[in-house]
Amino acid sequence: MMRQSFSRRSLLAGASALGGASLLPGAAFAKGSIVATTYPGTWEDAYRTVVLPLLKKKEDIDLELAPLFAMDQIGKAKAARGAPPFDVFVLDPGPRIVGIDGGLFEKFDGKKLSNLSKIPAGFTDDYGVHVSAQVVGIAYNPKKVPAPKGWADLLKDPWVSRLGLTGFQTTFGTSSLIELSKLYGGSLTNVDPALVELKKVLPKVAAVGLPAAMPGLFQQGQCDVMYTNTQTVATLKGKGIDVEFVKPESGAIAFYTTMHVAKGTTELANAYKYLDLVVSKEVQEALTKPPYNFIPINKDVVLPADLPMKSLDEMSKYVEHDWAKINPLRAAWIEKFNKEMAK
Amino acid sequence: MSVSTAAYDPSGPAGHLPSRAGEAKLRLDEWQLALPLALAFAALFVAPLLLLVGVSFFNDDKITQAGFGSWIKFFGDPFNYKVIGDTLLLGVKTVCTTVLIGYPLALVYLDLPARLQRVLLFIIVLPLLLSVVVRTFAWIVVLGREGMVNQVLQGLGIISEPLRLLQTELGLVISLTQIEMPLMLLPLISVMSRLDPNLRDASAALGASRWRTLFTVILPLSMPGLVAGCLLVFASSTTAFISQTVIGGVRLIYLPLLIWQQSLVVYNWPLAAVASLSLVVSVLSVIAALSYLGRRSSGHLHG
Repeated sequence: MMRQSFSRRSLLAGASALGGASLLPGAAFAKGSIVATTYPGTWEDAYRTVVLPLLKKKEDIDLELAPLFAMDQIGKAKAARGAPPFDVFVLDPGPRIVGIDGGLFEKFDGKKLSNLSKIPAGFTDDYGVHVSAQVVGIAYNPKKVPAPKGWADLLKDPWVSRLGLTGFQTTFGTSSLIELSKLYGGSLTNVDPALVELKKVLPKVAAVGLPAAMPGLFQQGQCDVMYTNTQTVATLKGKGIDVEFVKPESGAIAFYTTMHVAKGTTELANAYKYLDLVVSKEVQEALTKPPYNFIPINKDVVLPADLPMKSLDEMSKYVEHDWAKINPLRAAWIEKFNKEMAK
Repeated sequence: MSVSTAAYDPSGPAGHLPSRAGEAKLRLDEWQLALPLALAFAALFVAPLLLLVGVSFFNDDKITQAGFGSWIKFFGDPFNYKVIGDTLLLGVKTVCTTVLIGYPLALVYLDLPARLQRVLLFIIVLPLLLSVVVRTFAWIVVLGREGMVNQVLQGLGIISEPLRLLQTELGLVISLTQIEMPLMLLPLISVMSRLDPNLRDASAALGASRWRTLFTVILPLSMPGLVAGCLLVFASSTTAFISQTVIGGVRLIYLPLLIWQQSLVVYNWPLAAVASLSLVVSVLSVIAALSYLGRRSSGHLHG
């Protein structure tokens, strides 16, 4: 198909077809193409550099990446009401539940993946497939402060005066605050103790920022301790910044990033081919390398040395949170965080 | 603002009045010319705004149950009044600092030779040519704990502990002053460079001091530009989400942060709509008041 020579007539026909097709959003994509979301930043870089050319080479599918944060994807899909603007979602646990509740996903059949046997049991379900893991703990600058042992240390000197905080907007922020709360009598559904303790030390805290701003603030020395995931730590390290990851005493937090086929997609077969490639050894291995530093989910891939675990099985001992319970509470938590932290 | 500057323009239509019929024809032609933009404006701005108003009258985040619930929730919370107040106050502070720094700069600009004027103009426009994200992150490097300001002050021995500039309103106003400065200077310079230089000479010849000339001649005549600049800076700084959240942090809460949280984090669109409308209404009312003052001052000059 790609080898046919172009005449002026076919070019013109193609151009007018493209022009016409752009008026019909549902039919805008030619056969052999797929639109998948990706998170802005590292994810986008990685998928553009690794997955996009491989998908073209192996399956002759043109991958168009739409960089969107998880909740933006849910918002766009909901707003489109039945005609999804993309074919595949990439989501964290919280937004995933929102998507399931909103009926935004096609029923997923893991058996259609040729790589199914290479990923741990339970990594596919009726909604989608796990494509990457995240491990959340504490990052600190070893040249500025000693290593903290656990979440409680964040509220003590010398760490508290160098602490950078984020709220409940992100999965890692929410999870970390829940773990902090547990140490002071809170639970998965009660984060008040964490907010009470934070408020006590608030005047000392170095920075309270948007999640996306934290790596920049850390890099600039505005804060030297923060909760974050291993990927951010590896990326900062790659830029030559003094940073180390600590697994808190009470356990690191683990969660999985999942991909889902959008309900109403016209590219069902291609979506499965894309997902199959994403979980393949080739892609998963390439994504573990710097500067991407993903945690793989394919059993054949050797874990990078500086991760806090030796194997994927070890992650089953890490703390996991039930986002079906967290989601209904999160709006109120965000409001509360605003009020308690406001100057 | 275009009205007030046009009213001031000495070479405007008032100079050579066309005949009545010709004027009517001209007006019709002008309308036809404006039609595409008017239609685009109606479709892309007015219609979404009406949708926004519509969405605000729902009680739940799934947008199924109509009612005043979101309005009652938003305005029943005293915290939100503080947020609205802080947002407007941030705009006022930024306007004040841009006027205090920008106005003298515009005066300097007027007295420069043409070649240096071009250089200064380039420097003024420069911030507009950079992405707001880049400008904002540059300010992190400048204001940070280990940033330029602190390093210089510590190096000079003026302070021993680094000053806290990031994540404070002071730091935010400093950076917004630079970021919004072109919006103040461009209208100001365009109005002031059309002032007749003879007016200053006449004022001096009549015995007025330089200060008196500034306050009784130049300032009133530059009012349309000043008001236009204030409007732009106010509207832009109260809605500068990236600068507010990245430099101010999230302990300083302004309306754009609330809107972002409600619309893109917790997905309560009705509440986000109420917050957006409060931002629109509160900013517009300040802008209406400012442009009323501006019209009065230029009306005073010409009436």
